[in-house]
Amino acid sequence: MSIPASASPKPAPETLRPAIPALAWIPRLLRRSRRRRVPWIPICIIAIMVSMALFAPLLAPYSPIDQTLRDKLIPPFWVDGGGIDHVLGTDAFGRDMLSRLIYGARVSLIVAALALTAGGGVGLVIGIVSGYFGGAVDNALMRLVDAAFTFPAILFALLLAVTMGQGLGTLVLAISLLLWASFARVIRGEVLSLKQRDFVALAKVRGCSSARIMLTHILPNVLNTFMVLVTLNIGVVIIAEASLSFLGAGIPPPTPTWGLMVSDGRGRIAEAWWVSLIPGIAITLLVLSVNVFGDWLRDRLDPRLRQL
Amino acid sequence: MGQRRVYKIWAVAAALAVLLWQPAAAQTQKGTLVFAVESLSAQTLDPILEGRPGNAIYQAAMYDSLVGFDVDKGGIGPGVAEWWELSDDGLLWTFHLRKGLKFHNSDPVTAHDAKFSLERQMSEPSLASAKATLRRIVKSIEAVDDLTLRIEMASPQIGLPSSLSRAVATEGAIMPKAYIEKVGEEEFRKKPIGSGPWKFVRSVPGDRIEFEAVDYPHFRGTPHFKELHILLVPEESTRVSMVRTGEAAIASIGPESLQSAARGGLQVLSVPGTMQAVFQFWGAYRPEFKDSPIAKPRVRQALSLAIDRKQIIEHVMNGKASMPYPFAAFGYTEYFNAPKWKKWSEEAYRYDPAAAKQMLAEAGYPNGFELNFLNTALPGTQFMTDVGTAVADMWNKAGIKVNIKNYEWGSFAPLSRGDQPQLAGNASMYRTVGRPDMPWRYDGGFAVTSEHHLLGDKVNCDATCQEFGKIYNDLLAERDPAKRTELTDRMVELVANTWIAVPILEGMGYYAVNAGKAGQFAAIPGRHELGDVFERIPRPDEKPWKK
Amino acid sequence: MKRYIVYRLLQGVVLLCLVATIVFFLGRLTGNPVDLMLPEDATPADRMAMIKALGLDGSLFQQFTIFVGNALHGDLGTSIRMRQPAVEAFFSRLPNTLAIIPWALLLAMCVGIPLGVIAALNRGNMIDRAAGTVAVLGIAMPSFWLGILLIYVFSVELGWLPSGRMGGPEHYVLPVITLGAFLVAGFMRLVRSSMLEVMESEFVKLARIKGLSESVVIWKHCLRNALIPVLTLWGVFVGNLITGAIVTETVFAWPGIGRLTYEAVIFRDFPLLQAVIILKAILILSINLVVDILYAYVDPRIRLA
Repeated sequence: MSIPASASPKPAPETLRPAIPALAWIPRLLRRSRRRRVPWIPICIIAIMVSMALFAPLLAPYSPIDQTLRDKLIPPFWVDGGGIDHVLGTDAFGRDMLSRLIYGARVSLIVAALALTAGGGVGLVIGIVSGYFGGAVDNALMRLVDAAFTFPAILFALLLAVTMGQGLGTLVLAISLLLWASFARVIRGEVLSLKQRDFVALAKVRGCSSARIMLTHILPNVLNTFMVLVTLNIGVVIIAEASLSFLGAGIPPPTPTWGLMVSDGRGRIAEAWWVSLIPGIAITLLVLSVNVFGDWLRDRLDPRLRQL
Repeated sequence: MGQRRVYKIWAVAAALAVLLWQPAAAQTQKGTLVFAVESLSAQTLDPILEGRPGNAIYQAAMYDSLVGFDVDKGGIGPGVAEWWELSDDGLLWTFHLRKGLKFHNSDPVTAHDAKFSLERQMSEPSLASAKATLRRIVKSIEAVDDLTLRIEMASPQIGLPSSLSRAVATEGAIMPKAYIEKVGEEEFRKKPIGSGPWKFVRSVPGDRIEFEAVDYPHFRGTPHFKELHILLVPEESTRVSMVRTGEAAIASIGPESLQSAARGGLQVLSVPGTMQAVFQFWGAYRPEFKDSPIAKPRVRQALSLAIDRKQIIEHVMNGKASMPYPFAAFGYTEYFNAPKWKKWSEEAYRYDPAAAKQMLAEAGYPNGFELNFLNTALPGTQFMTDVGTAVADMWNKAGIKVNIKNYEWGSFAPLSRGDQPQLAGNASMYRTVGRPDMPWRYDGGFAVTSEHHLLGDKVNCDATCQEFGKIYNDLLAERDPAKRTELTDRMVELVANTWIAVPILEGMGYYAVNAGKAGQFAAIPGRHELGDVFERIPRPDEKPWKK
Repeated sequence: MKRYIVYRLLQGVVLLCLVATIVFFLGRLTGNPVDLMLPEDATPADRMAMIKALGLDGSLFQQFTIFVGNALHGDLGTSIRMRQPAVEAFFSRLPNTLAIIPWALLLAMCVGIPLGVIAALNRGNMIDRAAGTVAVLGIAMPSFWLGILLIYVFSVELGWLPSGRMGGPEHYVLPVITLGAFLVAGFMRLVRSSMLEVMESEFVKLARIKGLSESVVIWKHCLRNALIPVLTLWGVFVGNLITGAIVTETVFAWPGIGRLTYEAVIFRDFPLLQAVIILKAILILSINLVVDILYAYVDPRIRLA
C-alpha cells in the first residue's frame, strides 16, 4: 500500500493568494507579516513538559507512589474540599496528583524517547538500505513492512505484554514494533527520489562504497523527514501507551504514567473527575502541541514533505 | 324458568371460576429484567462446555442443579433433589428427587435424567473441570426408580453433595436425556432445553443471551418478569452508565464503582462472603530457603500484623468488605465453629505495627528485609491488585523493601505449576472463593500432591506438613458431625498457625441496581453470581423480596 | 494490469503464510488457556484431562502440522473458549465491526476534508493553525477517554443517547464519533497537502489564466484532483479500523472483531487468535489490493512505479 510520492520536487511557493473571497478578509486582518508564524504556545507547552520530566525530583512535592489511604480522593484546590496541601488533589490511594503528573511526564517521555529511537532508528536504517539497494533487498524488506502493517499493532503489543510480562522494556519494544514500519516506508520513498539526484551519481562515479554513500550523502538528506516523522509520532507513542494501559498491557502500577492515570480514574468520572481528567488533558495538550509543532516544522523544513 | 336461570348463574359462575383460576404466574409476569455483566465466559448453553462462572451467571437461569442452595444462609440446600442420605459405610449416596418437575418441553424430570447428566459430564468431550476427579471417585450411578438416584463411591466422599451443587461447578446441572438423545448434541446446543424457571430464547455471541419466564410455578421461585436479558458489557464504567440511564436494571460492579453508583442514585447490593483475598508464601519449606526470612513463621506473622486491614476495607473496598475468618472459611462453612473463629480472627488479624516490628527484630531483621511480591487478580475480582498494592505499601512502611510486580492472571497461573521457579521463596496475592465445604480448598493449597503444596512437597514434608495430611485424611472419612467439626477445627488451627496463607479480607460481590427497573431483593450469601436469584427479583412496583 | 494483480496476489499469499506462522508460535508462547478455565483449586489430574479434551497435548510441531493441514481445507480450528469453529465466530462478529466503519469514515471525511481545504486556502496564518489544531484534537485524546467522556456527558448527564451496545441508529452516534475523531487529522493533512500541490500545478495556472472564476478553479479543479490521494487513505484507515477499534468496542460494548481479538489474547484462545489474525489479514490485503487497483486505474504514474 503506497502513498504516492510526488514525481519531482517542487519549489516552495513564496506567496499564496487566499482564494475564496469570503475567507479572504479574515487572514488579511490577522496577518501581520508574511513569515509563517512560529507556534510559540506549543513550543512553550513542550518545554514545560520536558522540564517536568527532567527535573521531576526537584519539582514534585511528594513521592508519586507514597500512599496515604486516609487522604484518598481529595479534590484540587479550587474545588470545595481541596487545599494547597495537594494542589491537584489525590487519587484513590491518596497519592498526590501533581507529583504523579510530574513523574508521569518523565515516564511517558522516556517511553517516547526510547520507542522513537528504537523504532525510528530501525525504520530509518531499513528505509535507507531498502531504498538505496532496491531490487531483491528492497522487495524482501518491503514484504516485511507489509507484514508489519497487516499484523494488528495493538494486538502485537498485547501478546508481548502477556508473554514477557508488563514493564518498561516490553512497552518500548511493543511500541517500537508499531513505528518502525511506517518510518521505513516513508524514508524509503525519500531515498528512492534522492537516489536519482546528481550528487549521488557523482559519488558513485568517484568510487565511494555503498555504505559511505548511504552514511554521508543519503542520511543527512533524509534527516529532515526523519525529524518530522519523529515529532508527528510522539503523539502516537503517548496515545499508544495510554491505550495499552487501558487494556492492561502497559507499564504496571505503581509507576505513574499518564496513560495509566487516565485509565485508573475512568470509573470515577462522575465524582472524582480530576483523577482521569487532569492527566487526560495533559496528554491532549502534549500531543496537540507536538503535532502543531511538527506540522509547522514540516512546512518550514521541506515542502516536499507534504505527503506526510 | 327458574331452572334456566339457575343454569345461567352456574354458567356465569363456572366461567368466572375458570377465569380466576388461571395460574397466578401468568397474570403477574411482565416486563424485561436486564442484567449487564462483565463476561459471559464461553457463552454456550451446554453445561458440559462451560466453566463455573458462566454456569453460575447465565446457565443457572435455565438449568436446575441436583443440589441447590440454602437461600437464607448460603451453603447447600434442596435442589432437584429434595433430600439425600449417606449409607453407613460412607460409600453410597442416595438422592431423592422432588416430584412433578418438568423440562421446558414438558418431559418430566426423573432420576434417569440425573444419571444421564452426570455421565455426560464425565464423558470424553466434556470440559467439566472436575471430570478426572469425578471419574476417579464415582464407581457407579444408578437410577433406582424415577425419583431415586444412587451414586456409589470408590472411597468415602462426604462432600459429594456440594460438588453437585452450583456452588462448585457445572457438574450438577440436570439435562434432558430424552431430548438430547432424540435431537443429538448439535441441535441441543442450538435449541437447549432445561428445567429451570427460565426458557432459552436466543443467544447473540459477544452481545447477549435472552430468556423467557416459564408460566407455571417453579420450586426455585416463579419469575416476576416476563423476560430476562443478560448483556455482555466489558467496560465497568459503561455498565454503571447503563444502569444509571435505565438501559440495564442491574450491573455487576467492583468496589471502586460503589461511590459512583451511589452518587448516581443507584442502589448497591453487596453479597457477603463471596471470596477471601489472601497473601501466601510459596516454597517456604524448601531447604534452600532455610535462612530466608519467609521461612520463619514469626516473620510471616509479623507481616500480617503490619497490615491495617480496616484501612484497606474502608478505603480500597469503600467499606464493603469484612474482616476475614481463617483461610477459606466463611460464616456459612459446614462443620465450622464460626463464632469461635470470628473471635480468634479479630485478635489474630489485628493491626499491630509495634508488635510486628518487635517480632521482626527478634527474628533478626530489625531493619527489615527484601521481599518479592507478585501481585495478581483472579478473574471476577479485579480489585485484588488494588488490595495487593495497598498491602505492599504497608509493608514498605514497616521497613520491608517490597519488589512488587503485577501479573495478569493468564501469566500468573502457569507459574504455580511444577517447580514454581518464579514463585518459590516469594509472596503473592491469591484468593479463595466462597464454598460451603472447606476441606477441598485446604487440600488444593496444602496437600503434598496438590498443585500449590504450600506446606511441603513429596521430598520435604516436615512434622507440620505430615500432620496436616493425617488430619485431612481423617476428616475425609469421618461421618460423625461433631467429630468432623473438631477435626475441621484442628485443621484450621494448624494452617492458621503456620501463617503461610493469610487472609487479608473477606470480599463481597457488588451490584448496582436501578430501583426504577427492579425491586428490592437480596442475594444468596456466598454466591457472587445472580444466576439463582433472577427468579426472585420482584418488579419495581411489587413488594420487596424479604427472606 | 493483469500482471500487477497476479503479482500482488502472490505477494498476499506469501504474506499470509508469514503472518500465520508468526501468530501460531507467538500465540502459544503466551500461556495455556487451561489455566484460565479451571478453578484455582483444580487438581493436576483435572488439568491434564482438560488439556487432552482440548487437544492441546502433543508437541508444538505436531500441533503446527495439524493446524496447517486443516487450514488448507479452510478449517482454522475450533475456539477453545466458545467451542465453535473459529471461522464461524469471526464471521458472526465481522458485520458488527463493518457496520460502523463506513460511518466513521464518512464522519471523518465530512469534517476532515473541509478543514483541509480551509487550511490550504489560508496557508500559514491563524486559520490554518486553528484548522490544524481542531483536526489534531482527534488524535490527541486517547480514544477510551473520549468515549467514556462522551458516554458520561451525552448518556448519563443529558440522557440523549444510549450508553453502549448495538441497536438502532442512536446507538451508532457515540461510537462513530469516537472512531471517526481519530481519522479526521489524517484526512485533513492529506487534503491540505494535495490541495497545496495542485493549486500550484500548471493546469490550475492555466485555468486561472483562462479567466475561470476562483470558485470554479478551487472546487472543480483543485479539489477533485486533491481528492485522489484520499483514496489511498481509505485503504489504510479501513485496515486500521478493522485491526484496531478494540478500545472503542470495549468501551461501547460493541460485539465486533476488535473485542473478539482482545478476548482471544486474554483467554489464550489460540485457534481463535490464529483465525482472527489470518482472516483479518486476508480482509486487509483484499481491501488494499482493491484500492491499489482503483488507484492504478486512476493514476497511471503508479502503475509504472
